[in-house]
Amino acid sequence: MKPTPPNPGLRAEGLTLGYGSRRVIDGLDLDLPAGKVTAILGPNGCGKSTLLHALARLTPPLAGRIMLDGQDIRDLPARALAQRLAILPQASTAPPGIRVSDLIRRGRAPWRGLLQPWNAADAAACEQAIRALGLQKIADDSLDALSGGQRQRAWLALVLAQSSRYLLLDEPTTWLDLPHQIEILRLLQRLNRDQGLTVISVLHDLNLAARFCDHLVLLGRDGLVALGTPQQVMTEANLAQAFGLAARVLPDPVTGAPMVCPL
Amino acid sequence: MKGALVLTALLAALSMLSILWGEVRVPPGDLWRGLITGEGPGALTVRVLRGPRLATALGAGAALGLSGAIFQTLLRNPLAAPDVMGFNAGAGLAVIATLAAGLTLPMPLVAAAGGVAAALLVAVLGHRKGQADTALTLILVGLGVGFTATGLATFLSLTISDALAIEARRWITGSLAARSWLHAGQVWGMGLVLCLLLAVQARALGLLELGRDLATGLGLNAARARAGLLATGVLLAAAGVAVAGPVPFVALMAGPLGRGLTGARSPALRLAAAAGAGAAIMAAADLVARSALPGIQFPVGVMTGILGAPYLLWLLSRAFGKGEA
Repeated sequence: MKPTPPNPGLRAEGLTLGYGSRRVIDGLDLDLPAGKVTAILGPNGCGKSTLLHALARLTPPLAGRIMLDGQDIRDLPARALAQRLAILPQASTAPPGIRVSDLIRRGRAPWRGLLQPWNAADAAACEQAIRALGLQKIADDSLDALSGGQRQRAWLALVLAQSSRYLLLDEPTTWLDLPHQIEILRLLQRLNRDQGLTVISVLHDLNLAARFCDHLVLLGRDGLVALGTPQQVMTEANLAQAFGLAARVLPDPVTGAPMVCPL
Repeated sequence: MKGALVLTALLAALSMLSILWGEVRVPPGDLWRGLITGEGPGALTVRVLRGPRLATALGAGAALGLSGAIFQTLLRNPLAAPDVMGFNAGAGLAVIATLAAGLTLPMPLVAAAGGVAAALLVAVLGHRKGQADTALTLILVGLGVGFTATGLATFLSLTISDALAIEARRWITGSLAARSWLHAGQVWGMGLVLCLLLAVQARALGLLELGRDLATGLGLNAARARAGLLATGVLLAAAGVAVAGPVPFVALMAGPLGRGLTGARSPALRLAAAAGAGAAIMAAADLVARSALPGIQFPVGVMTGILGAPYLLWLLSRAFGKGEA
């Protein structure tokens, strides 16, 4: 076990994001705890994806900074950051005909120097990712030939092979049917429980987020509405503020997590 | 693996045929003696005429094929190639303009400058502020830049003396006539240096084809890597054009053909296959161009045009059919 860093977690301080003169997020302070499964929720256009991109340094902030385990991410070299934090953007495209295993191998890029050959650690990380996502039987198949759920698992395996402690996912369940959404969320939960990974995803489905995540961040059009446990965040008042949605919140009969019933 | 052997065998067969076949029939025995000893009736044919011509064809074809494969991968579009996007025509125009101005400059550098200038023009004209460049916009702008460059080149070739005009024609259609070992050495030398640069960048290409965001997330400086690969691609095209002229469609066809023949998947192998396929297309086109009609030697560019234009139409119809245009 590595020693715990002094200020574990991913933290936004005075973060302002936007394009040109349009500000999507203005002066946001946010603490995303390490070792938890966090969902970022909010209406379309509230800047969820922009925030996730900024957390992974894909979008430079207009103001403010992002601290990873107490370190400003701007001070980290690109590969060092990629060794500690992985992001799976929403629209990823693969070259036609690529095999699942070849796709996953590319996740080792941050660990490989320019002329450094493929080594045992790389192979082990890929093998572990393939096992964790149950891709053993289709590792040699072409990605094009897979179903939507399998393909999403292959992409997750790529970022898992990156061996970073933080996993940022932009709508990992979009386009999937309900059973496959649940399958992906269970997998993320298991990666968190078994390997201690910090998982931060942008999600759309409030009920699934409340059920499978430890920590929720609810954004509205004017910034942060609430953050904390599902019980703390998923209240009728918060939903009205964030979405303008009139809803009752009831305990779900299976797990007791808050469940949203729109009126 | 089998595919790589097929491609190698194809290259070997085309090379043999190119040496054996020609307007002047020389028995194989004489050719062999000429090659080995440098004496007898075969020596001139092999060592001065067909040898350097073949070596230039293979080198220029490989350089153009590599360039096409780089652009097709980076822009994720089979239509993206230096010939379609006007870089070859720009390189050709620069050479003609130099000839017309009566300047004596090293032609590979002139061609490279012309290719880079055309590429920059395409990048500037195709860019809309605040919007991501779409591949199809760049390709269509490139087609326009290419037509303009070819038009200007044709105009210049009509204003210069007849003696220069014959040389100038090479830089409009592309031709392998009268190539010496100097040309072959030029394209192989420049090509090998650029190949080394490309080999170092192959892994970055494999990340960039996953999309800019994911590549950045994997620790790549995407903007820098992309710029490096684009520059290498433009220079490879210019290296080919500098010795063979703006031969059309070799760069466009080489990537898909190499991939189809070899089944190569990784970026590095796909690039190698594209180089082999480009060399094969160029050698085959030149062989046909100089032996299709007895007594007439077509420029190689005419032949690749006849081969490539239907392929381009097919690609375009597929792109429009998919609603990408």
